[in-house]
Amino acid sequence: MTTPSSAGYNARRDRLRAKLGGWSLTTYGILAFAFLYLPILILVIFSFNDSRSVSKWAGFTIDWYFKMIKDGQIMLSVWNSLFLAIVSTAIATVLGTLAAMGLERYSFRGKTAVDAMFYLPVIIPDIAMAIMLLLFFNMSGIGFTPWKVNFFGVKLAVPYSVIIGHVAFNTSFVAIVVRARLAQMDRTLEEAAQDLYANAWQTFRRVTLPMLMPGIVGGALLAFTLSLDDFVITFFTSGAGFNTLPVRVFGMIKKGVTPKINAVSTLMLAVSLSLVILSILLRSRSGDEDAVQMGF
Amino acid sequence: MTETYAVELQDVVKQFGDVVAVNHVSLQIRDGEFFSLLGPSGCGKTTTLRMIAGFEMPTGGAIYIHGERQGYRPPNKRPINTVFQNYALFPHMTVAENIAFGMEMQRTPKDEVKRRVAEALAMVRLSNMANRKPKQLSGGQQQRIALARALVNRPKVLLLDEPLGALDLKLRKAMQIELKALQEEVGITFIYVTHDQEEALTMSDRIAVMNNGIVHQVDVPDRIYEHPADRFVADFIGETNFIPVKVVSLSPQIIVELASGEKIPAGWAEEGIAVGENAILSIRPEKMTLLEEKEVDGPPPADIARVRGAVRHLVYVGTDTRHTVALQDGTEIVVRLQNSYIDEEPWEIDESTIVEWNAAHARVLKE
Repeated sequence: MTTPSSAGYNARRDRLRAKLGGWSLTTYGILAFAFLYLPILILVIFSFNDSRSVSKWAGFTIDWYFKMIKDGQIMLSVWNSLFLAIVSTAIATVLGTLAAMGLERYSFRGKTAVDAMFYLPVIIPDIAMAIMLLLFFNMSGIGFTPWKVNFFGVKLAVPYSVIIGHVAFNTSFVAIVVRARLAQMDRTLEEAAQDLYANAWQTFRRVTLPMLMPGIVGGALLAFTLSLDDFVITFFTSGAGFNTLPVRVFGMIKKGVTPKINAVSTLMLAVSLSLVILSILLRSRSGDEDAVQMGF
Repeated sequence: MTETYAVELQDVVKQFGDVVAVNHVSLQIRDGEFFSLLGPSGCGKTTTLRMIAGFEMPTGGAIYIHGERQGYRPPNKRPINTVFQNYALFPHMTVAENIAFGMEMQRTPKDEVKRRVAEALAMVRLSNMANRKPKQLSGGQQQRIALARALVNRPKVLLLDEPLGALDLKLRKAMQIELKALQEEVGITFIYVTHDQEEALTMSDRIAVMNNGIVHQVDVPDRIYEHPADRFVADFIGETNFIPVKVVSLSPQIIVELASGEKIPAGWAEEGIAVGENAILSIRPEKMTLLEEKEVDGPPPADIARVRGAVRHLVYVGTDTRHTVALQDGTEIVVRLQNSYIDEEPWEIDESTIVEWNAAHARVLKE
């Protein structure tokens, strides 16, 4: 069994095995990525299709993008989406940051319960949250009263209920991201600031806030993306006549799929993707800094 | 007239829940003094420092800084600055911004801030690093910036929490000398927390040795070493031999009896020890010498202690040789003999010997 020839044979066999293993792993990887991204790629490709068909290629055009821009209803929904995302993100970022500070820094009666409740919107299905909110708005009498606002020259009517709904889930996400950052932060930095004659506000403004900034910006970007992409909660809390882009797309699909929907979807995809990448970049960069600060 | 101390602690207690971290500590630290709080980790030295800084509030007692009672005064209103163990430099600010921070908070005029930052950087010899971020500096440089950031505010008292702990040995030695020279130059009271006895002995004017929240002894370095007040101090500082004894007499001379029946004199006995009680005799290894039987002639003088034993073990360590000697009652002690002459004939293993020391070096301590 241990003759030189059998040892040579074994070595060859092991080499072959390793090679085969490597190949199959690569193939598996490619297939997995194809499974994830091929549909998206097809969607993007067909947004440039010079035909009404969404399955047969008939040459390149950017016509659908022009048609999209000229469609008043789509554009209104784009403005609605943007306005809703900006307002809800702004509110959620402030509330979420404060919540993170409170939960991380102070202990109080019932903290564990509050802590758990903050994770609830992240865990429970959107549909459950949407229905809860819908019931709440109906019963509380808030209803779907719109906020009439002039947004860069576009007249919008955004129901308060949708804004509240978006703030409700975004706050949790911001709080979680900011809290992670806060937990990493070296508390002696704040003590050092106090030791150097900074009062509580100066300590927060000059040390805590700048140190938390990557977390806050990351949380805000996440909230903005979630708000832009949300369909379920918007659909249930907006009442009739108010469309964000995803809701609008859903409405269009009911009348048949055209490459215009592909164009709209591609646009949404591009915006969301860039926001996610930006958020990851911000967080990983600040992560490096931490490692250096801690002396690693 | 009562003296006004730079920092005075009167019967200070700090409890965290059921745990007593600092137990009735009273200290008087003089103006311009380099004062160390020395003890093993968890002894309460850092908590004591944090109470002086204002990061922790005492559960009981009072803290005075230059005669002023601090009470619940927050850290930003106390005339002291701290050098933190991990330096705690603000990572998002440059070195110059870090140093300027304290003065900015006190609304010092801009041009004065600029001048004093430059002076502080020159003092720690890092003028060319003003625009760097802390993470671009080495550990030793960060340490000096932390020092400059604190000293630039001209505090009445500077607190240092194991500031050299994160540095490697060589750099630590260099920084010890630098720090001591700097303290003498600026004349500010330094309160220095460390668990490193050598560091405390080299740098301090006075040392408070702490354990389990209690101050065991406050004294100058050589008194701490030569005249340890109790068993903990004798054991914690340097190397020492403990020999179980029974107290035979306390006056006119202190005499103790070993388990072997040998009666020997001692120089000092801890307060509260009574005749007839069991105690321990503490003596440093370098205070003793070994004699051969034939060298001894008649009973020793009244101030000399001699006991019989046998050499068990030798370790040559260059400047001296450590001899482990078993006494007649089985207690093993270490005797360090200086290698003053070359080619001296060494002691042989199991050779019987007489250990001799001057009674003044031997201290009777409570068990």
